[in-house]
Amino acid sequence: MKPVYKVLAYLVAVEVAVQAMAVVFADAGLKKWVEQGGVLDKAVIESDASAFPEIVGFVIHGINGTMVIPLIAVLLLISSFFTKVPGAVKAAGLVLLLVVVQVSLGVVAHDIPALGALHGLNALLLFGAAVYAASRGRGTGVSARVRPESRIGTVG
Amino acid sequence: MKGTRRDGGRIRLAVAGVATIAILGPLTWLWQGSLMPEAYSVMDMGYEDYGGGRPAHAAGSGGGSSGHGAHSGASSPGHAASGRGVASFTADPARKADVAVTLIARRQRFKLPTGRFVDGYTLNGTSPGPVIRATVGQLVQVRLVNESVPDGMTLHWHGVDVPNAVDGVAGVTQDAVGVGQSFTYRFVADQAGTFWYHSHQVSHEQVRRGLLGALVVAPAPRPPAGTVDVVALLHLYDGARTVNGREGDDRAEARPGDRVRVRVINTENGQTPVWVGGAPFRLVALDGTDLNGPAPVRDTAVLVTAGGRADIEVTMPEDGSPVRVHIGGPTGVVLGSRSYDAPAVPRPATTLNMLSYGAPAPIGLDPDRPDRRFVYEIGRRPGFLDGRPGIWWTINGHMFPDVPMFVVAEGDVVRMRISNHSGETHPMHLHGHHAVVLSRDGVAATGSPWWVDSLEVGNGESYDIAFVADNPGIWMDHCHNLPHATEGLVAHLMYEGVTTSFTVGGPAGNEPE
Repeated sequence: MKPVYKVLAYLVAVEVAVQAMAVVFADAGLKKWVEQGGVLDKAVIESDASAFPEIVGFVIHGINGTMVIPLIAVLLLISSFFTKVPGAVKAAGLVLLLVVVQVSLGVVAHDIPALGALHGLNALLLFGAAVYAASRGRGTGVSARVRPESRIGTVG
Repeated sequence: MKGTRRDGGRIRLAVAGVATIAILGPLTWLWQGSLMPEAYSVMDMGYEDYGGGRPAHAAGSGGGSSGHGAHSGASSPGHAASGRGVASFTADPARKADVAVTLIARRQRFKLPTGRFVDGYTLNGTSPGPVIRATVGQLVQVRLVNESVPDGMTLHWHGVDVPNAVDGVAGVTQDAVGVGQSFTYRFVADQAGTFWYHSHQVSHEQVRRGLLGALVVAPAPRPPAGTVDVVALLHLYDGARTVNGREGDDRAEARPGDRVRVRVINTENGQTPVWVGGAPFRLVALDGTDLNGPAPVRDTAVLVTAGGRADIEVTMPEDGSPVRVHIGGPTGVVLGSRSYDAPAVPRPATTLNMLSYGAPAPIGLDPDRPDRRFVYEIGRRPGFLDGRPGIWWTINGHMFPDVPMFVVAEGDVVRMRISNHSGETHPMHLHGHHAVVLSRDGVAATGSPWWVDSLEVGNGESYDIAFVADNPGIWMDHCHNLPHATEGLVAHLMYEGVTTSFTVGGPAGNEPE
């Protein structure tokens, strides 16, 4: 189960990076489009069609953020139950918690834009937690092998 | 030692298994519960909300009042279960049509007047479809022929309070018209104003890709000389903003001193601001209803609700200079005669406040003594919608399909409070009726009676509206941000004693949203 746990944890980190990239990609596309004379109003925002190609970044951000990442985080928590990596459950629980916070901040930011700033900050925490969760696996794996040798070394 | 370790491993595995079930169990249960049957009647959806009125069958069995059901259930009074079918509410079948139109719908790649190719749908070879014009009181008959729209289609007469049988909602008032089939819509255009028509089958996709057009009902007396009537239908094709299918400006000829009525139709899913450069203007009608005593304004924008219409009247300057009616941006309709070189002006900071615009007049109903009082509170929460995880809209705290069925009786005065705490704005559209706005966020309307069929309810806002239940049937009451409707922001208004045999899903593949 350890590889599954590790892969899922890294996947959360990768997904957070994808989220950051997608939203800035779309934002840059929007600015360029406005520079070229495009006008953004609610009619354009709600139109399914893409006024500018980079709008796909917003779509990816939405689907990833509200569906894919929560799903991965739940699977990560489940996999942590079955892995013997110490602290895996706690780490995976932390990741899931931060995902819940992140989605909530993202949704409420429509209402209170200042929370969007926290959404950005929490993304870094989530990225860190995901890498931390993944590296816990590596840490124990390595130390389990290294420890006996080092003990021999000190005795010798 | 080894045994203990194995036991420990087993316990560990058992705990892990139990924990997994504790997480997946409720999720699976919620997911399973959200799955929709292959075919279902909207009458079986959610729960009935009588708005403080007494349900007809309860009134009957209780031996109390005669019950409202008797009014509408003329064919079988009192029997709500075996009531009158929606298809029986039609215009006089013996009456001859005054305006007869055939619309042939196709799936095809077509060219906008300005050259862009669109892969979508057409009506009689174009999109937007032809402007249908009638005079008030005329019987309009539209024969829809579906030549090649694969999912089937319908036509809904947005803003016209048509008889229920021709409301055009697939799965509620009719079956989707499949390829090779036809359907005839007949209704009396009993109100002069600006309306539009669009498909109400897979509407979020079919409207966007072209199954729509304008309907203009002119008043009976011929307009005096020097009046110009212009339709300005806003639609985005593949993200390109068009007016009457044209990207950039559309032009209309108007001589100095002419009074021009620009009928702005917002067929989009979001509201759009409209403003005028080069002359003051009056907002003379909203959602197909004339406003009372509209004063000229300038440096002011009018927000046109998604699905809504706004009629802007401009008197052309005597010096012959052109006038630009902006629709959501630098482009729109340019009115002129000698020159169409009207500079773009930025959107004015002021937005017209409909609560106080125009002069008050009697509204013809007493909203302080309603027969029914409903609440339509829009929220949002995570969950499953037909098996799809996401953060979905709620109505009165319930997620689709567990939404209220607002039950009324014919003749009721109905009061409804629509409030929105969902984080996004929602253009709420009630079929078959016009409602008058009484107040917003507790501030009473003091201007012209403000009748709507499409009302933009902003996030954090709360509107009190009232209407008379005078058009029996089963009517959708939904968000006209059409993707939002697919995300569950749909409820219905049902008259006691009215039933529908149509189902969502089923052999016709009805999918109204």
